[in-house]
Amino acid sequence: MAELGRAALLVTLGLCLYACVVGSVAALTRRRRLALSARNALIAAFASTAVAAGVLAAGFLRSDFSFVYVAEHSSRSLAGLYKLSAVWGGQEGSLLLWLLILTGYAALAVWVNRNRTRDLVVWVTPVLGGIAVGFSFLLVVVATPFATQVAPADGSGLNPSLQNPYMTAHPPFLYLGYVGLAVPFAFAMGALLSGRTDERWIVATRRWTLIAWTALGIGQLLGSHWAYVEVGWGGFYAWDPVENAALMPFLAATAFLHSVMIQEKRGMLKVWNVVLVSLAFCLSIFGTFLTRSGVVNSIHSFAQSDIGAWFLAFIVIAVVFSTVMIIWRLPLLRTTTRLESLVSREAVFLYNNLLLVALCLTILWGVAWPILSEAVRGDSVVVGRPYFDFFLRIFGLPLLLLMGVGPLIAWRRASLRGLGRTFFWPAAVAVVTGVVLLLLGAGSSVPGLIAYTFSAFVLAAIGLEFVRGTRARRALSHESWPVALGSLVGRNRRRYGGYTVHVAIVLFAIGVAGASAYDSVVEGRLTKGEALTVSGYTVRYQGLTETQTDHATEVRALLRVSRNGKDLGGLEAGKNAYRIAGPDPQVSSEVGIRTNYLTGEDLFVIPGTVYEDGSVYFRIFVKPLVNLLWLAGIVFLFGSIIALWPDAREQRRLAVRYDEAGSPVRGR
Amino acid sequence: MIALSIAAVLAVFLLYTSIAGGGTPSVKPSELAGHQGNVSLVGQVIGRPVGDANEEGLRFRLRDVKGAARTAVPVVYRGSVPDLFAPGRDLVVEGELRNGVFVATPGTMVTKCPSKYTAIKPSAP
Amino acid sequence: MNAAIVLGAVLGALCVVLVALPFLREPDPVSDEIEKMTPERQRRLALAEERDRALAALKELEADHRNGRVNDEDYRASIGPLRREAAGALRALDGEVGQA
Repeated sequence: MAELGRAALLVTLGLCLYACVVGSVAALTRRRRLALSARNALIAAFASTAVAAGVLAAGFLRSDFSFVYVAEHSSRSLAGLYKLSAVWGGQEGSLLLWLLILTGYAALAVWVNRNRTRDLVVWVTPVLGGIAVGFSFLLVVVATPFATQVAPADGSGLNPSLQNPYMTAHPPFLYLGYVGLAVPFAFAMGALLSGRTDERWIVATRRWTLIAWTALGIGQLLGSHWAYVEVGWGGFYAWDPVENAALMPFLAATAFLHSVMIQEKRGMLKVWNVVLVSLAFCLSIFGTFLTRSGVVNSIHSFAQSDIGAWFLAFIVIAVVFSTVMIIWRLPLLRTTTRLESLVSREAVFLYNNLLLVALCLTILWGVAWPILSEAVRGDSVVVGRPYFDFFLRIFGLPLLLLMGVGPLIAWRRASLRGLGRTFFWPAAVAVVTGVVLLLLGAGSSVPGLIAYTFSAFVLAAIGLEFVRGTRARRALSHESWPVALGSLVGRNRRRYGGYTVHVAIVLFAIGVAGASAYDSVVEGRLTKGEALTVSGYTVRYQGLTETQTDHATEVRALLRVSRNGKDLGGLEAGKNAYRIAGPDPQVSSEVGIRTNYLTGEDLFVIPGTVYEDGSVYFRIFVKPLVNLLWLAGIVFLFGSIIALWPDAREQRRLAVRYDEAGSPVRGR
Repeated sequence: MIALSIAAVLAVFLLYTSIAGGGTPSVKPSELAGHQGNVSLVGQVIGRPVGDANEEGLRFRLRDVKGAARTAVPVVYRGSVPDLFAPGRDLVVEGELRNGVFVATPGTMVTKCPSKYTAIKPSAP
Repeated sequence: MNAAIVLGAVLGALCVVLVALPFLREPDPVSDEIEKMTPERQRRLALAEERDRALAALKELEADHRNGRVNDEDYRASIGPLRREAAGALRALDGEVGQA
């Protein structure tokens, strides 16, 4: 069936080319039927990509090793679910998933907007088509997943560290995020091309950006959780270029989600918004480039990878195209409104944007520096964790504080006396928290203490916001507290959804500070019966077990955990040796984690070396509050869903506005 | 706009000071001889490693991942060893050259998995 | 092998039909032009956006004042210019619509 897959991809390429070229012609000459035809081509492209993806997935499920790609990434003994996730286990399959999601988003975006602002949407079609041309071209010419061979008896199997539920969900979420940023980008470019620089493109894409952003956030958190429980080095984020690749567009999109509100409320920052959405999109392509080209390792490996140059060309085209478009339409993007005061809600939004973009660009610099220095000086210089940690503190802590300041300040202007009153309670809560923590010994880490004080401030400010809003609502409607809260959130979904997301970010910050600034560690070689003690925990090594499963030899050290004399039960940590093709088995550490669900603290045991005599070298961490990270993910998703929930009143308001401006003029 | 430019200037300044102080040169085993001080060594493990990384140190040799150079640098490493560490694997390790032996900073070993382009970090900082 | 080629051809044909559909459905349309955003409409739209922004800001200021985020002094200082702005946008929009 590989021919069908190849044919489907070829059809996709043709359809995308059609959507791009014919769509442009239709938009230029304002021909309605031609534009509809180009739009249909985008929808058909999704269908034919889905056929290609279906063929590949079927190849995996049937273990059809005549597909080179299937043979390289699967084996007969692979469990069913992982056969499916092996589809995106390699380069070609990842690109196919990219294209599938892109055409899916594109088809949905043009279909949802089919009856709205046609003069803008006609230009969206060719932009989305153009992006899809890039990826379908790669899949047809450079990296086809449908190469065939004489089928070997068995495939070489999936990398064991990818055989994990997280690795099944993590890439699709990340791609939903990366690719989703193409939709707001296409609408922004459509707005510039058509000259419709009013609020319409922002209203049309706000929700898309939010969906992409949420997916990107959840995808990264899944990746972090995977690293934490599976990779087994005791952390969740290593500032690895591949991780940074996802963080950068996330930060740019975060800035965009905030600055959009200033354009809506004040009509300002039109240029900035287009720049941000282009930046976010280009960074998402750059992220794909980083993970797929190998440029991270060295500029030389980049030259040897066949796909890197194409991606680089793609990025250059995207950057040049958006820059030219923005400069061309600069006169249309001028605004008359000015910032009235540096102490106002919009000013806080502006500071937030500057910090987010600064953080994003410093990370970009850190990622690109080894490549740039090698290209310029011939000598690669890498920047490590200290660089990234430094900038995270410099830009991240003020960002945290601003999340509390923003809700307390009114739009336009605020007098200092008025601020004194609104700031009193949150500031008092923050100071008390800081002093209490200091007395409890949190002064061991200054950034940690600052983070916790700021967190308390933000939580108090947001809490105050909910209380005030509910009280005001009750005063008007005489509803009970829960009903008033419900209708408050329901009537201002974006605002209170946003505050909920802020709570998630604060939880995240508390978790990060707890796990990285206040953790404790002990290590040592234990023979049977010996114990290690750390932060009140005693971990006693009781012996080894060995089990043979279908795929691996599993060695486990049995541990007994007690805290301050109280027995807390058993814990296992060990190693799996997977039998795979090749001379050596592939070993993966299986860490032992004991979670205290009340305090969010983890006892984290990494098995080091297992010696011949049965003794084991252990490295044991105690990570306070680390589980708030994962809780933050749930709160984040909840807040995003509140903000995403469709708001019929807003749609009506917009419809009224466009009716007033004159019903669509059918040209003659 | 003023705030914007101030922030930009500030950012560049911070960047500069940090880069000047924090970057580590990344070198190949064949180039190591000329380098003083702390570097990040990228190479491929050859031969069987000996010793114990938890005690006196794991000893192995690294050579250039690609290219014709046959220079192999002896390395001694203490600290946690990533799961993927094995002869033939590419890895990065920080440290400095002392009397012809590359003494690695404990816990800095990162293996590179070439097919996935992912680095897997062995230990917390 | 053959089945695959046939299926591929069917897929291609279906896609061609979908792409040609707008022309098949309307072989002889009354108008084949996309509605145009005339400069007047664009101006009116901009004014409508301005008016909505001013009205929303007024509403928000009232709410902020009610629930205590904005004190009386700030409220009095802001309400005048905002009202003028909203009234100005409304007048301009009326003028435009009157002309049309």
